[in-house]
Parts: sequence; structure tokens; C-alpha cells
Amino acid sequence: MRRRHAPRQEPITRINVTPIIDVALVLVIILLVTAPMLSVADLPVDLPAAHTREAESQRNVSITLSSGGHVAVDEEVVERASLRAELAERLRKPGNENVLVVVRADAGAPYGAVRELLADARAAGAKRLAIATRQKTETR
Amino acid sequence: MGRKRFHTGGNGITDPNLTPLIDVCLVLVVILLVATPMTLQSGIAVSRAGKGGKSGVEARASRIEITIRDDQNLTVNRTLVPRSGLRAALRPLLASSQTRDVVVQCADGVSHGTFVSVLDEAKVEGAGRIAVIGR
Repeated sequence: MRRRHAPRQEPITRINVTPIIDVALVLVIILLVTAPMLSVADLPVDLPAAHTREAESQRNVSITLSSGGHVAVDEEVVERASLRAELAERLRKPGNENVLVVVRADAGAPYGAVRELLADARAAGAKRLAIATRQKTETR
Repeated sequence: MGRKRFHTGGNGITDPNLTPLIDVCLVLVVILLVATPMTLQSGIAVSRAGKGGKSGVEARASRIEITIRDDQNLTVNRTLVPRSGLRAALRPLLASSQTRDVVVQCADGVSHGTFVSVLDEAKVEGAGRIAVIGR
């Protein structure tokens, strides 16, 4: 009768790549999930703080007005004069007819500039408008 | 020749390897810490105030009008109100209003932060729709 030998155990000399693959996959998934939320321009904006929570987690097109006066539509910085055309083009895309347009303006910006952005958004065909705020966390 | 013995008991690794789990958890914590300020963005929905017409006249009668002046003072339904007194002035008006519509007109020189704080206080006091008047 032949005796069965247990497999010979050898020391593991290769690098264990399982943790790095785990971490990389988690990063990929998180980036996939958060990418639509972060489709805003990389401009310095100090949003005004507010308690009100409306228009959250909705797909939107954002107009950003930075502290330096630069304007962006979603993540793309545009010239102030071409804002209306750029926005109209985005609102013409399929599925964007009734999309929420969010104006992200710096708290220190004059209201006159924000009013013009709102007017431009209306003229470009925006049906629903919101003003972006930073969530106040302290108690009332 | 001596018999080779395969030793499996006692010194083998029997605990589950927690390293990948801890790696993933730490990465999640770091990403949440970085992403939280970005995702805390909220918003206040605004619409454009109607201009007139037969229904517009009725709407104008029932809505509450707030004007933010250059000197930071406010008028609520044409009554001058200090900035700090907005909530107290709005409370009875909103309580008696059927539509709870609020219309806000703001001077161009006022900061956007002040404008939003007025909208926010109106919302906190129970305003329904908020409309802004253009120039």
C-alpha cells in the first residue's frame, strides 16, 4: 500500500500583493461613486453657510463664481461672455432639459454678479435653479 | 533513514489575516475625511418672481416681500426691519400666510453671503417657495 505524502511546505518568498489589490479596488470603486458629485471646477470658492438643506443629491449642472471672479460651468472654466452659450449647450443635451442648475458663488461676491448668473441661467433655458450653500453643522 | 515528519499543528498560522481588512478600513476613513467637506454642499431652491396678470395680482397680495438694502437693513412688506430682527418679523407673517411664498429683492452691492443668510432665515422660519426679483 502506497503511503500518501502530505505536500511539502515551502516558505513564501513572494511579496503578498493581496492588500494592495484590495486597497486599489476600493479606491477605484470610491472614485467611480464620487466622481459625479465632484464635477465642479477647481476654483477657490467659500460657499455661504446655511441650515437649509434642499436640492441635495440631485444631478445638476453647476455654475461656479470664484472669489477671484472666474466663472466655470461644471468643471470647465469659461469666459464670462460665453457662459450663456456654454450653459445652453449643456442644457440641450438629452436628459438635461429639466436638470437643476446650481449657482456656486463665493460668500464675498457681490449679489449683483450672482443675479447676473441667475439671469444668464434662465436665459440659457434653466427651469430649476438653486443657490449652493455649505451645510452649517452647529445647532441653531 | 529517519522518517520525515510533516509538522502542521501548534505553530501554524490559524488566525484570520486581518491586514487587508485594516488596510481597506483605513483607506475608507482617509477618503471620508477628505471628501466630507466637499459632499456637505447643500442648496436653496429659488425661482423667479412672477410679474403680473390676474393671478399675479392675487399672488402679490399673499406673498411676503423682503428687500435687502445696501446698508444691510431690510424691509419686510415695506416695513423697515433691522438685520437682526428678520426672524421675529417673518414669524407672524408666515404663520398667517396661506402660500408662504417669499419674494426677495437684493441690492447689487450686498454680499452674496448676506443674501443667502436672509434666504436661510426665511426657510428656517417656514417659508415655502422663495423667489428672487431681478433688476
